[in-house]
Amino acid sequence: MSLLQADIEMRQGEFSLEARLEIPGDGITVLFGPSGSGKSTLLAVLAGLSRADRQTIALGGRDLSHLLPHQRGIGLVFQDARLFPHLSVRRNIEYAARRAPRGAPAIEKVAQFFDIAGLLDRRVRNLSGGEKSRVALARALVSRPDFLLLDEPFAALDGTRRRAFIQVLIHMHRAWRLPMLVVTHNIDDAAALGSHLVALKEGRVVAAGEFAQASRDPQFQALLDSHDTGAAVRLAHSQHGGHWLRADQVLIATEEPKAVSARNILPATVQRLAHEPDGVLVELATEAGVILSRLTPEAVAELGLAPQKKAWALVKAHAL
Amino acid sequence: MLSGEELQILATSFWVAANAVLWSLPFAIAAAFALSRPRFPGKLLLDAIAHLPIILPPVLVGFVLLMLLGRRGAVGALLAQFGIQFAFTAKGAALATAVMIFPVFVRSIRLAFEATDRGLFEAAAVLRAGPLDRFFSVALPLAGPGILAGMVMAFATALGEFGAVITFAANIPGKTQTLPLAIYAVLQQPGGEAEAARLALLSFLLALLGLAAAALLQRWAVRE
Repeated sequence: MSLLQADIEMRQGEFSLEARLEIPGDGITVLFGPSGSGKSTLLAVLAGLSRADRQTIALGGRDLSHLLPHQRGIGLVFQDARLFPHLSVRRNIEYAARRAPRGAPAIEKVAQFFDIAGLLDRRVRNLSGGEKSRVALARALVSRPDFLLLDEPFAALDGTRRRAFIQVLIHMHRAWRLPMLVVTHNIDDAAALGSHLVALKEGRVVAAGEFAQASRDPQFQALLDSHDTGAAVRLAHSQHGGHWLRADQVLIATEEPKAVSARNILPATVQRLAHEPDGVLVELATEAGVILSRLTPEAVAELGLAPQKKAWALVKAHAL
Repeated sequence: MLSGEELQILATSFWVAANAVLWSLPFAIAAAFALSRPRFPGKLLLDAIAHLPIILPPVLVGFVLLMLLGRRGAVGALLAQFGIQFAFTAKGAALATAVMIFPVFVRSIRLAFEATDRGLFEAAAVLRAGPLDRFFSVALPLAGPGILAGMVMAFATALGEFGAVITFAANIPGKTQTLPLAIYAVLQQPGGEAEAARLALLSFLLALLGLAAAALLQRWAVRE
């Protein structure tokens, strides 16, 4: 059963948002869409910071539509952290703890979890981007929300820090069983995080559901940049969510390859061939799910690929 | 150095200015905070009322106060029954000064509120802080240095108030005679120019000191 249900209609000049959402109570749901699709506006309406022209929002059966933000029990982690500059890191977290409805987790424990124990007495101005994001997460967690919204909390972080932050988010979700809706426009982040997906385009939900399934929706595929083409699969070794395998990072062999790292080879059956301007998109059915591979028309001809043909999908190691 | 009389004038000036600032502080903060909000019904009216003392001749402000709070005034007669008198007292001088400095006061505090990142109020709201809680826990502390600078600026302005004070509180040495009123009084006497010049210099130095302090606080506020 879904935990958060929302039906929202809002008009802002030329832009209109018309979204009906059902977010499950377990797992992490990713709200995906290009910039300008209304993701942040949607979060603001859910949190009560913006008013829609018409809105029905319910959390666990409780009607939130007419409640003010501080009454909703919905937490929000902003892209720019928004730590209070007049308070130390500890005081920022205490701010949330003092207003939490029931026993907030101990600040020392939370600080250790987010690896910010050494920062507690620092002023927030002197923190790095990654540190600020972790403090914002800790602060949001301590306020004990029933549901947590995150607006691209890792937008300011670069590659390694970003991946580390995503791991922190996943651990946080597991440790505290906190249902989350995370906004991102990056398909790799979405695949690394999401158990569920809601795709937004020009203020409308175009695809929604379990991640691996919803990510194959043609409406969702149409949202991706051309270089993003591919599919999300759940590989045996991945513990959470799925992996987004870009079509141009997947090779195809028609005989079982030898002396290649086994983890990167998946037995497959060719399902469909789609001829596109920049190559042929080959759809492969594997144990992990559907994988797309982009090949040149010459390669397709050379390998004699056709529906029902047996093949092996080879995934470049760094794509995992 | 300063004579006993001059020290008395200075003491009256400081008492009047300090009381004017302290009395109007909560109203100035409330008006400034309200005016720093993007939109609300009556904003234009509040803005106009807060700025009225700048537009009106100070003598008129003093006259209106006299009409209202004089012994035979609508409110004054009522207050007189409780033994409270404003007209022709130091308290009255402070009240007239408070009205006159209000626009400057509100303006400088409003700048401090407007400079605060509105996103921080949203952050506080989603951490379960209600509107009043947000005001005291986020808006006020963040505007604190700016409010302090506004108080210094208002105090310096208060030291120079003349028209409204002389109309409502008169020019009574030792009671309501502040620096500008004393300068006016000595100028009325033949040969009073030398004394007037001494007082004017004092007034000028105080004003400079006030401006410098306000500027320093303002800079500190920006850095904070």
